[in-house]
Amino acid sequence: MDLADSGTQRRLGAAVASVALAIAVALALDWPLADIVTVGFVERALQAATPIALAALGGLYAERSGVFNIGLEGFMIFGAANTGALVWLIGGESPTQADLWLAMALAVALSAVYTVLFAVLLIRYKANQIVAGLAVWFVGLGFGPFTAVLVWGNRNSPGLVSVEDVTVPVLADVPVLGPILFDTSPLVLFTIVLAVAAWVFLYRTRYGFWLQAAGENPEALDTAGVDVNRVRYAAVIFSGVMAGFAGAVLLAHAGSFTGTGQTMVNGRGWIGIVAYLFGNYNPLGAAAAALLFGGLDMLQIQFQTVGIEFPNRLVNLFPYAAVVLVLTVWGSTRMPSALGEAYESDD
Amino acid sequence: MTDADSDRARGTLDRLADRLLDASVGERVAIATASTGLALLIGLVVVALAGYDSMAFLENVAVGAFGDANALARTLKFTTLFVLTGVAVAIAFRAGVFNIGVQGQFVVGGFATVVTILWLAPLLPTGATGGVLLMLLGTAAGVVAGGAYAAIPGVLKAYGDANEIVTTIMLNFIATGVVGYFVDGPFRGEGNRAPNTARIPEYVSLPRLVFDVPDFSVVGLAVTLAVVVAVAWVLARTRFGYEMVTSGHQVAAATFSGVNARQTVVATMTLSGMVAGVAGALFAIMIQGYYSDPAGIGTYGFDAIAVSLLAANNPLGVLPAGLLFGGLDSAGSHLRINSDVPVQLIDGIIGLVVLFVAAPELFRMAAVRLGLGGED
Repeated sequence: MDLADSGTQRRLGAAVASVALAIAVALALDWPLADIVTVGFVERALQAATPIALAALGGLYAERSGVFNIGLEGFMIFGAANTGALVWLIGGESPTQADLWLAMALAVALSAVYTVLFAVLLIRYKANQIVAGLAVWFVGLGFGPFTAVLVWGNRNSPGLVSVEDVTVPVLADVPVLGPILFDTSPLVLFTIVLAVAAWVFLYRTRYGFWLQAAGENPEALDTAGVDVNRVRYAAVIFSGVMAGFAGAVLLAHAGSFTGTGQTMVNGRGWIGIVAYLFGNYNPLGAAAAALLFGGLDMLQIQFQTVGIEFPNRLVNLFPYAAVVLVLTVWGSTRMPSALGEAYESDD
Repeated sequence: MTDADSDRARGTLDRLADRLLDASVGERVAIATASTGLALLIGLVVVALAGYDSMAFLENVAVGAFGDANALARTLKFTTLFVLTGVAVAIAFRAGVFNIGVQGQFVVGGFATVVTILWLAPLLPTGATGGVLLMLLGTAAGVVAGGAYAAIPGVLKAYGDANEIVTTIMLNFIATGVVGYFVDGPFRGEGNRAPNTARIPEYVSLPRLVFDVPDFSVVGLAVTLAVVVAVAWVLARTRFGYEMVTSGHQVAAATFSGVNARQTVVATMTLSGMVAGVAGALFAIMIQGYYSDPAGIGTYGFDAIAVSLLAANNPLGVLPAGLLFGGLDSAGSHLRINSDVPVQLIDGIIGLVVLFVAAPELFRMAAVRLGLGGED
């Protein structure tokens, strides 16, 4: 399973075709395309895509190993709420960049602790993966705002601190690519590196093959002398850590915590799941899909700037509608064959 | 395939369904109780860690849920919604379809109810007759809208192979967004500052019997019970219910005995959405009397998943589970005013209940360690 396999190629082709169709429609409606797809738009789309991509990479590894971590959304809420609370506890009213990074690191460590408990419940106690994942979401929806109320006396935090852009000298002056890649949030760059690393690890290392085998043919992996459940523990914990990190990134970009409605995560964990389904369980495909959803999410700002009349609330729904469309057209992904089954070694 | 083969398949299927349906009710009850107890215990620890008085919290929960007639009416008000949405979820889960979209179907159904009543009110007589007629027509509209909205993910799953867990969640976001846009713009009541529709006429309301409160009527509870009994009957006694449940547990075997799995999926989702529509209609008529931005109403459709799971997806079991959640929600309303413990804790506790319900092995192993039977 590689970028070269036919399923992925078909998807890539279809994705290119739909983008071409969108451009054709935009031209036919006489929209100022150059004003919509600006450097600023690509920058914002990348930022919006970052948390989705991180959650997707984690979820993809878990599912590849045979465990459906449907709790990504919940782990993201925990990541965002904990980062916000920790920034406040460490830095007080005016936290610095260092405080923010420390808070993110601690929040990610906390996510690891939560996910270990979750993984034990799933793997040792054979909990129903779908139900337990949904439960994590419910717990997050309750405890995220609960934390906020405890810390700030309100479901929303005051303005905290957002991450500063890094500017790479010289390279930042390159036209178009410079501002997009070399004068942006360090978290965006880090995510790009992670996506490539996740791809290399999965397809080019022995551990990557173990991971795939744990989901496809656990018996064979067991016979080869590798502990299936240990591989699964690692994958599930990685997925929770990544989702927690995704939540932390969301907070670091937004600069404050919002605990009303579906919280500030607002479905991005679910979109992350769709991103890796759409990306056919391939890390690079998942990251590309995340970018597509991030772009749709940011389209509203572009519409406003160029003056296309479309109610804001409806533009906000583009990513969700796109997800339904994507699942309908490319719904039948081939899931790992041992997905959702607890594995019990014979010895 | 010979007749003998098909008979044998049918027989196997019958035994399988019987075994799965009656799987140790006692054990289920024990696990549900243990899950709830453990979740409450963790909640109390969190309350204590956050620096509040755990015992006062527990007392507030009890008083808030069942303390007096008002508390009881409030508990029953939430219970009606949880039972209906819980049954909606249970129908789908029973058939092996995950309808996470009950919240969206609930919203669409309730909005359709209000819009229909507002639209028909000038055409029908006022007074009691008109009121009853409008309520019936409004509810019918809610049921149709809820069913139709649920049929979308059903069709997408059956014919497009789209994962219904994800599509229904997305459709929840879409329902909330679109109805929110409607009540804010095209359907906003004249002169309303808030994003609400106009109020439905005074005479379109359920009578105040037993409890003299404006937002709960025993009639609503009666409707709820009737729906529960009807659904339980359909699932247990009709061919359709049989096909639903068997195709949920054994797709291959069901197809073998002539059940059209695709149609069953669509029908199941539609029925599930129709019940969610009843809940939406009841919420609109009995509780709100207008429709507001759905981003601000309770997440009954989500909590319903917990209700259904706690009830092991049994329509009758949804009654006690719904009462438990109704009580917790009612306690939340009480806590909001009478306690400084953040009420969001209740939502977290509900999540923990579900988390533990998902892992029966946890309790089985605990029971074995404690020497409580454990032979299985």
